[in-house]
Amino acid sequence: MDPIPVRSAVRAGVVGSLVLVYVALVGLIERFADLKLVGEQVTLGRLLLFLPPFAVAYVVARPRVVAGERRVAGPRAGLVAGAVSGVVTSAVFGVAVVLADRFDVVRIRHVFIAATPGLIDFVTFERGVVVGIMILLVLGLASGALGGLAKTGDRRLTRPLAAGVSTVILLGLLQRIVPIAMQELGIEPDFLYSPRTRSLTWGGAIGLLVLAAGADVLWNRSGPETQRRIRATMIEQPAARVGILLIVLAVLVALPLLLGSVISQVLGSVMIFVLLGLGLNIVVGYAGLLDLGYVAFYAFGAYMMALLTGATLNTTTGSSAAAFSLDLNFFIAIWLVVVLAAGVGLLIGAPVLRLRGDYLAIVTLGLGEIVRVLTESRWLQPLVGGPQGMRGVTDAAIAGYSFRNPQHFYYLALAFVLLAVFVSWRLAASRIGRAWNAMREDEQVADAMGVGTTRYKLLAFAMGGAVGSLGGALFAVQIGSLTPASFQILVSITALAVVILGGLGSIPGVVAGAVVLIGLPGLLREFEEFRLLIYGAVLVAIMVLRPQGLLPNVRRMRELHEEEEAQDEWVHRFADEAAAAAAVPGGTLGVEEEDLT
Amino acid sequence: MGTDPQVREVRLSRFERLPWRRIILLALGVTIAATVGFGAYRTLTLPEGQRYSVSAWGDFVVLGAAQGSIYALIALGYTLVYGILRMINFAHGEVFMFGAFGSYFFASAYEESGFLERQPVLALAIILGVAIATSVVVAVLLERIAYRPLRGSPRLVPLITAIGASLFLQNTARGFFGSQTRGYAKPDFLSGKWEVLGVAFPRVRVVVFLVACVSVVLLTLFIGRTTTGKSMRAVAEDSEIASLMGINVDRVIVITFAIGGVLAGIAGVLFAMTFEAVNFYMGFQPGIAAFTAAVLGGIGSIAGAALGGLTLGLLESLGPSLILTGYHVPSPFQLKPAFTFLVLVLVLVFRPGGILGAGEAEKV
Repeated sequence: MDPIPVRSAVRAGVVGSLVLVYVALVGLIERFADLKLVGEQVTLGRLLLFLPPFAVAYVVARPRVVAGERRVAGPRAGLVAGAVSGVVTSAVFGVAVVLADRFDVVRIRHVFIAATPGLIDFVTFERGVVVGIMILLVLGLASGALGGLAKTGDRRLTRPLAAGVSTVILLGLLQRIVPIAMQELGIEPDFLYSPRTRSLTWGGAIGLLVLAAGADVLWNRSGPETQRRIRATMIEQPAARVGILLIVLAVLVALPLLLGSVISQVLGSVMIFVLLGLGLNIVVGYAGLLDLGYVAFYAFGAYMMALLTGATLNTTTGSSAAAFSLDLNFFIAIWLVVVLAAGVGLLIGAPVLRLRGDYLAIVTLGLGEIVRVLTESRWLQPLVGGPQGMRGVTDAAIAGYSFRNPQHFYYLALAFVLLAVFVSWRLAASRIGRAWNAMREDEQVADAMGVGTTRYKLLAFAMGGAVGSLGGALFAVQIGSLTPASFQILVSITALAVVILGGLGSIPGVVAGAVVLIGLPGLLREFEEFRLLIYGAVLVAIMVLRPQGLLPNVRRMRELHEEEEAQDEWVHRFADEAAAAAAVPGGTLGVEEEDLT
Repeated sequence: MGTDPQVREVRLSRFERLPWRRIILLALGVTIAATVGFGAYRTLTLPEGQRYSVSAWGDFVVLGAAQGSIYALIALGYTLVYGILRMINFAHGEVFMFGAFGSYFFASAYEESGFLERQPVLALAIILGVAIATSVVVAVLLERIAYRPLRGSPRLVPLITAIGASLFLQNTARGFFGSQTRGYAKPDFLSGKWEVLGVAFPRVRVVVFLVACVSVVLLTLFIGRTTTGKSMRAVAEDSEIASLMGINVDRVIVITFAIGGVLAGIAGVLFAMTFEAVNFYMGFQPGIAAFTAAVLGGIGSIAGAALGGLTLGLLESLGPSLILTGYHVPSPFQLKPAFTFLVLVLVLVFRPGGILGAGEAEKV
């Protein structure tokens, strides 16, 4: 029987309880207390209460290296260790709850505003402290045991279950859009989503769980050979690729029709951030220049579009003409904006060319802030309206077909996104893209190999700026009026988070990143308040746990894992040598000499 | 085509040898100097009545020196960490914010109970202690959770992490303490002014300046005279060799972050007492300004950070009024943050080593 790591389980439990206290005090639990996922009982708040014990148990049960030997815990050890860490998590948290209750939670509230009597009620299941903490302990034990099993149990069982549970949670979170889409398709959603609580019905949830688990079982039963063949067909067969592309396009075109106006608004914002992400991806992902002032291009695109299409300044009494203004058609102005933004990219890029990575980041951050300060200042008020901003940006109408309508705007944005995707994709595969790769991996070597790094850096700034300004210009069209509040530093950081989450240098990654980071908070109002907290956590977590991102670019992934691969190789070689040495008794020296030559 | 390839090659290289970069930089420098000089001249020769009085300039200098000494304290945190890990701890501004916020609760409780007026020195000492403790805890946790797992990864990785950590900490404070700005109490003896030679010195600014000076001196002594300080210098020089000499590099790094936290905590209290307010985003602007100060003085150097802080404080308080008023820019003070960044950009472009770090040329 393998030994149970009790001490590390207890330690992990204490860490887990600290996480739990943090989650409670930062206000997440109470904020999501009413977000029902399944029936009346399963709310996101409750889920958050049992996620830490589950997670620490999962971590405790992972294989560990003891004295250079990899030890994989069996299901029994995993179950016990998980249960121990889970119960410790709940117990320490319970102690904190009792203390808060005894100490009078209202006093704590002077410091931590989320510590309310309501929170105490919620975490004790509205049954009083004693009974509540009993429940907490039992459920903590259970979720810890489950977490331990999830890591160590038979994968034929845990994988379908994980697939089922995550499907249920995902569809529970998408409660604002899936029912609408179902209605549009003529399916009555009531059997799946309860019209009263908006959450999944129990029957629907169980059905989904079985369905997703079954699909996973089928996929696994098909065997690795079939799976490989299916993947290969999808990637290599030209016909299949065209087919998939057409299906994706059809879905993209149908989306706003299916989802209605409110959600199309969110989709429009997602599209704008896809554009920003694609532009930033050229600068950061392809060329490896960390630009934290990307909002400068976004603001430039938006204000330039406003000025070129005859927007007016907001004043206290109404509106007045800007100091400079043209009255161009959107479809002419947009190309002008893009060209000018590329020029601005060159201007910004030129003085900072020689700066090394981290200095460059701070300087560009500064440039982004300068742009914001200027748009707010009284100095430039006659041009861009100061804090009150501008209004009356063109709606880009073609023959009475106005793009201020969210559903129509989506198509406009989609067109530009497709263009930007095409450009990014071709750029990555071109001579320029290869030059960027070389430059990113080692600038000095690239220079020595004849890559004109100055030129290519400037080009990256110009291309990135052009795509970013496109996002800004579309944003101006989308909302029709501009204020400096829309051009905070957070835009740069959000765009960075979009690129990082998906994976640097990966186009599908940018799209996925924008959908997750902009789409989800847009759909769930409850998230709005914690959006930035989550962005920050995402940036740290991705960098620490999975620096290549969710949908990595293959080359980039290799780059980031070079070190590990080198180590692996060394270990393999070492093992091979040892094996060879063992096979030839007394031949150790001989083998080594052979290897050296 | 018809030309000899060798001749073409020579021409090409001759063309490339033209120092375009230098010419452009020189032109840029001359333009900026002319703009600054002309603006200052115009400001100082404005007609009587529109001109700033001598005492107004005195006020600007006092304000700048006090503000600059706070920047210097925060800048030391950036510089110490950069010296040892070669990374920009972007979240250091948030460490400063947590110090100020942590001490706020004690300051306001003491004000309510009257303790702040009865025992102002003791109360201030406790407030300072709380601020330091909070900042140190945040700084050490930051190092342990966010930065330590990333040692030795490509350079952009820790920087992106630091940005994420900054955002995370800022919004943690928002979740914990709420998003409204709160008034920070200070004892009565710190309000009011001392008048010397016609220039009014607000007491709180004088105290801020003195406390900052004492802190810098103590830090210099610590780094220069103690064994721990010596091991810090050794790790900054070469961490690998230092570890071979029996220095526990991890411990030194933690101590460095902790010292940065101590200074940030002190700066947090000083800042909060000066502006009598705390909020969750108060760390951003001073953080960036302090980083600018560290670069301005020469990052990695302690004296440089102190000098850079003071210089930046003075530049910020004098610069916009001195230069922009001459061009009739309305409300030049609004442009102060832009001015800070402009200084940063110019320093990095013209003298990346900073004022004191000229010897260490930046590698491309």
